[in-house]
Amino acid sequence: MLVLVQLAGGNDGLNTLIPFQDGAYHDARPTLRQDKGVLTLNSQLGLHPNLKGLKASWDAGQLAIVQGVGYPNPNLSHFASMSVWETASVRGGIGDGWLGRYLNYLDQVGESPNHALEGVSAGSLVPPELRSKTPVTALQSLRTFRLQPVNEHGSQVDVENPLMKFYSAFKSTGPAPFGALLDTTLQEALQASHALQATDATYEAKGTYPTNSPIASALKLVAETIVSGLGVRVAHVTLGGFDNHAREKPVHDKLLLDLDQALTAFMQDLQGHGLGDKVLVMTWSEFGRRVRENGSAGTDHGTAAPMFLLGSPVLGGLYGEQPSLANLDNGNLKFSTDFRSVYASVLQGYLKAPASDLLGGNFEILPLLKA
Amino acid sequence: MDDAASRTSPATTRPIWKRPVSRRAVLVTGAAGATATALAVLWKGDELLQILDRVRDLTHQYQGALNDERVRVAHLLRRTGFGATPGELDRYLAMGTAGATQALLDYPKTSNAQVEAVLPAVDPSGGRGAATVAAIQGWWLQRMVETALPLEEKMTLFWHGLLTSGLDKAGPAQMFTQNQLLRKMAMGNFDDLLKAISKDPAMMIYLDTETNRKGKPNENYARELMELFTTGIGHYSEDDVRESARAFTGWTLQGAQQRRLTTDSVFVARLHDAGPKTFMGRTGNFTGDDIVDMLVPLRVTAERLSTRLFSFFAYPNPEPEIIHHLADTFQKNRHNVGAVVREIFGMDAFYSQKAYRSLVKSPAELVAQTLKATGADAKGYVAAATAMAPMGQVLFYPPNVAGWPAGSSWINSSTLLTRINLANSATQRMRASLPTQSLDNLTRTLVDGNVSPSTKDGLQSYATAHPGDQAGLLFMVLATPEFQLN
Repeated sequence: MLVLVQLAGGNDGLNTLIPFQDGAYHDARPTLRQDKGVLTLNSQLGLHPNLKGLKASWDAGQLAIVQGVGYPNPNLSHFASMSVWETASVRGGIGDGWLGRYLNYLDQVGESPNHALEGVSAGSLVPPELRSKTPVTALQSLRTFRLQPVNEHGSQVDVENPLMKFYSAFKSTGPAPFGALLDTTLQEALQASHALQATDATYEAKGTYPTNSPIASALKLVAETIVSGLGVRVAHVTLGGFDNHAREKPVHDKLLLDLDQALTAFMQDLQGHGLGDKVLVMTWSEFGRRVRENGSAGTDHGTAAPMFLLGSPVLGGLYGEQPSLANLDNGNLKFSTDFRSVYASVLQGYLKAPASDLLGGNFEILPLLKA
Repeated sequence: MDDAASRTSPATTRPIWKRPVSRRAVLVTGAAGATATALAVLWKGDELLQILDRVRDLTHQYQGALNDERVRVAHLLRRTGFGATPGELDRYLAMGTAGATQALLDYPKTSNAQVEAVLPAVDPSGGRGAATVAAIQGWWLQRMVETALPLEEKMTLFWHGLLTSGLDKAGPAQMFTQNQLLRKMAMGNFDDLLKAISKDPAMMIYLDTETNRKGKPNENYARELMELFTTGIGHYSEDDVRESARAFTGWTLQGAQQRRLTTDSVFVARLHDAGPKTFMGRTGNFTGDDIVDMLVPLRVTAERLSTRLFSFFAYPNPEPEIIHHLADTFQKNRHNVGAVVREIFGMDAFYSQKAYRSLVKSPAELVAQTLKATGADAKGYVAAATAMAPMGQVLFYPPNVAGWPAGSSWINSSTLLTRINLANSATQRMRASLPTQSLDNLTRTLVDGNVSPSTKDGLQSYATAHPGDQAGLLFMVLATPEFQLN
């Protein structure tokens, strides 16, 4: 299954995969440059010092890094650019998400168990990548995901049946589109809740998740869902806070530390449950940051940035081309790999789905994944 | 959006935006209108309004549930505020639709002293901890529920979702101060509000203007001012972003050591880039205020704000002719927001079938209306404000600078269960003090007495099977799909 990690706000790619030998990097980043402790991958590039777990995965051949990922005529708006990545269309829009289209495909070819837990998101909202014609569940806790009975003087009154009737009647009497939406959503919710209650798996984390870390809690919830055998095909988690126009360094350092620790615990956890070879993790962000730092010790919106793919399904290594810091477009990096090429590689090589149909075009398949 | 309401609008030959209670509207209604106008000159004040309202009722064909004046007033109170208790509904109903509209709109003339007196004293100046955050959230929720000026709170919530700042960067004291600013300027001129919010400490931290200095411009605020607050994407260039960022230099926070505690900003001339800037084809030594003065008069700004207001109060995806009319209103009234809001609540479109139940209750609306039905103490408000997080809305903490998405996105399997479970816990919490109310009264206040026949039967069965279980019965009404919509 695929776990998508969204780095929301625009991750500073140059301070994640660091061209530490490039004089232009040091010149452009007088206060933000990472001078010490860069975890070298080769003579030119290294990982941010806080990405120790990812470096260990790299050493084990389980981390693929695609460099300089972006798209033509980049949009510097968070929301426009997110929409581009979420829909895998340079026009963006509100259609189904690229992974939502994958869920639709599973449905069409009958490969889908078609229950509400095949697409899950940790949090309170269903992310646009998973927008689809099939049910997708936002999960905040497996235990509380149920309709509470009414307590009448100590005795429990189950209200599922009457409420199901209310909502099903509203499907035809209620206004479009909400009548149908509310009915379908309640049905999906109860279906998912019954599936969760029926599982007798008792999950015990086998990785050390840091406390007070929302990304760690989110990944732990995803691990619990996977370990409980609920049929998850794609999962989504978000780590926000990357839009650092000012005083970037301490915030970014902490975010990458949280990301690294959470991912490390997640992979340990799955390995501990014998599921280490079942999961591919992929990170994305709507854009990178401007090459030259601004006057507030931060960075403004930029363009291309690296993507990480993690797990035993990957063929570790660097892919694509590191963008030049000398040949910029309005102060921004020129992308070298189209993000849809990475999507296509994952859809085709890992999810075994027809990438060109789902992406509406042919994109180069990168050899990121084991056959 | 997939929220597009697809129902038919009422058959009418008048423009959809026609104001029902204006002199002009009365005149064009023909003989009935002429008679009423002649009569009306003999009357004054509220009585005049009631006469005009009756004329409106004679000449306007309300559709469906909105034919009933009680439903119209309940609809009005849901949209201008956070629903109504049975007492509030009766009080506004006695004024008639037009009188109630007028009273709600004229809130600056109404005293809120009684409510101010019972709201808990909040002093967020000391800390950034969870208790301080919960205190200001509970305070605001209580205010939404108990205020005598519902539109004031609704407008404050509107601005909080448009001119966003959040606790992820700003401190509670700053967010609380910004909340007062938004409340104070909610119905004034948009340019004044934008100039004030540009210098508001929470905003200055949230979008980094506090670090925006001469020679060290920071693009964050300038970009979002155009992309989200005024023109929208496609009406400015990257150069406009860069140049206007320079114009906003100079404002900084009082007391740099305590940047997350200070609630004052100050202009420091040496930090301001006074040099020439070229913005949208004009060149001058612009300040931030100058940039606002160039953005607000643009037609796209008028149209965008009008769309946002109409979609917030009436229904999503308004017709172009409505937006055209509202944008005209905005431009003819010195960019006054109150004038646009007043126009929206006077429109036939606001009472059309297309508007009825065309919005999903946001968590703030859902929780506030639930608490109006159950009652709550100060502790209950804090608990309920905290319980909003799993529904996708945390007050003072929008998900990002674009604010909260609305409509269908409030509803997914997780949030729907949470919404229903909250009604359960809120009714259980207050079960000992709930007044006895008949099923008819409950449905009339909470869902316009307008539920599907099968729900009506189901509620009746519950009442029969569980006599005396007021909490359970109230919960069942709050759990209906009808109550999820606004």
